[in-house]
Amino acid sequence: MFGTQSQKDLSLETPFSRQSIHTRRAKITVKFQDLYGFTVEGNVDDANILNEVREKVRQQGKAWWALEASKGANWYLQTHVSSALKSSLKFSNLVNAITLKKLIRKGIPPVLRPKVWFSLSGAAKKKSTVPDSYYNDLIIAVEGKVTPATKQIDHDLPRTFPGHPWLDTPEGHASLRRVLVGYSFRDSDVGYCQGLNYVAALLLLVMKTEEDAFWMLAVLLENVLVNDCYSNNLSGCHVEQRVFNDLLKKKCPSIYAHLEALEFDVSLVATEWFLCLFSKSLPSETTLRVWDVLFYEGAKVLFNVALAIFKMKEEELLMTQYVGDVINVIQNTTHHLFDPDDLLTVAFDKVGFMTSTNISKERKKQEPAVMAELDQRLRRLNSSNLDVNSGLT
Amino acid sequence: MATIGHNNLNAKLVLLGDMGAGKSSLVLRFVKGQFLEFQESTIGAAFFSQTLAVNDATVKFEIWDTAGQERYHSLAPMYYRGAAAAIIVYDITSADSFTRAKKWVQELQKQGNPNMVMALAGNKADLEEKRKVTAEEARAYAEENGLFFMETSAKTAANVNDVFHEIAKRLPRAQPNQNPAGMVLVDRPAEGGARAASCCS
Ligand SMILES: Nc1nc2c(ncn2[C@@H]2O[C@H](COP(=O)(O)OP(=O)(O)OP(=O)(O)O)[C@@H](O)[C@H]2O)c(=O)[nH]1
Ligand SMILES: [Mg+2]
Repeated sequence: MFGTQSQKDLSLETPFSRQSIHTRRAKITVKFQDLYGFTVEGNVDDANILNEVREKVRQQGKAWWALEASKGANWYLQTHVSSALKSSLKFSNLVNAITLKKLIRKGIPPVLRPKVWFSLSGAAKKKSTVPDSYYNDLIIAVEGKVTPATKQIDHDLPRTFPGHPWLDTPEGHASLRRVLVGYSFRDSDVGYCQGLNYVAALLLLVMKTEEDAFWMLAVLLENVLVNDCYSNNLSGCHVEQRVFNDLLKKKCPSIYAHLEALEFDVSLVATEWFLCLFSKSLPSETTLRVWDVLFYEGAKVLFNVALAIFKMKEEELLMTQYVGDVINVIQNTTHHLFDPDDLLTVAFDKVGFMTSTNISKERKKQEPAVMAELDQRLRRLNSSNLDVNSGLT
Repeated sequence: MATIGHNNLNAKLVLLGDMGAGKSSLVLRFVKGQFLEFQESTIGAAFFSQTLAVNDATVKFEIWDTAGQERYHSLAPMYYRGAAAAIIVYDITSADSFTRAKKWVQELQKQGNPNMVMALAGNKADLEEKRKVTAEEARAYAEENGLFFMETSAKTAANVNDVFHEIAKRLPRAQPNQNPAGMVLVDRPAEGGARAASCCS
């Protein structure tokens, strides 16, 4: 399987490309390959930044090895802030938990990602509650079955990061297909939702084995993210958008006021962020750094990051005059965020502290409004056709 | 919404239609003159802008290319709210996609801007051998419902620019002596009121 071993220097003019960045960027200078094999297009500065990031990743790796040497291998696997606080008064556990939180915000080295994610996200625990053969049995049981979900998955396989050196091969398509189809049977309420193709694809690249990618997808949808993010009219996603809207108002009032005057609804850009967990918007290493924290600290992290993207560009945003300008500023920003620390520093040090409990409260507050709105729309659509013709001449 | 200043017109345009019908491909062809055999699936929506010169005016389209999967339906109103024009896209090789297109037409008739210019595009016209929806059927439906109809191919570029040009021509124009405030067309759907501007369907 395709790995992260590509330590070779940035190669110019590689033949494959990462479409979401590729198609939206107007002024292109060079193409280069990033840490996970995506070809991105940017200017020479971007290429240099990416080289620096590679170096930082190596340094960060050393920090993890040093801790492993002093605290013992796998020390981080027994540590969790909340469980340490609750269950154990052992001081060393608490210290470890705090160290770990800081360390994770600085990035998990790519080689350790599969192991650390699998354990800290809860995927390992989830997997341990079923027989070892669960995934294989599932894949065998669903083989050859055709459902609306499998048809849509087949449709999207070649449309998921087209051109990627591993994902866009028959082997890559087959792996992605098994993970998505398997999940669509595990949870038929979700079935298949567009967006999951990108998430699962990136999970495959990181986790290296299909089965682990499957469990990561499961823990993400079932435990990490808000309920019904991908099912039921995407109601969970609607809730997140409203919560985000309110947070922006609170944390970035001048940006919010300006955007409101332009009649710019933040969900115009943020919907894709929350459904693809930034995988379609940010460079791959930056996305994965967000996921490092997401799997340890939970879904509130998505708000930190989304707020940070706006906050970073406050000045430029305040100068926009049209909705289109706002979108251009935001997209230029996200596509150029090759240095994850630029984003994460703002996300965790500058947007202000948010607890998961507070976010949960905000969600609870928004849920009834979302349900009412979705319900009302549905009723309006199904209402008698009396006034249909009045819209026409 | 369509706003008019001098001879320039800003028009919000939305593309709606089944997943894989070719909405993104049509936009990419129109905006960049390109076609990709495998176009990434759209999540939420993607934004583009493109300016067209028609007759004496320039029209700047602000294009929202939406996601086609059924469950994304609940996001659609955000994109068609206040739109001056819509292109409803189906795939001529898929009867289901035509059914879906009709649903979109109904929804826009009920909840869209009443002056909206609507086009029905039967895309993938290059795949004649796989055709499931006849041009006659689609044209008849379009005429009944006050849309204009074209078969397009994002792949060969057939009729792609033409759809956008035709929309640009049909967008309601301000009368030369109208006061500026009156030039802003309806931007709130389904609330009645500003139906004064003439409809061109
Ligand atoms: N032969 C042919 N193929 C086309 C044409 N237009 C689009 N396609 C192909 O059909 C597939 C889907 O096209 P998209 O433009 O992504 O469809 P979409 O409507 O944007 O789909 P969603 O984003 O999933 O809603 C792509 O692989 C395109 O290459 C066409 O005119 N002819
Ligand atoms: Mg699309």
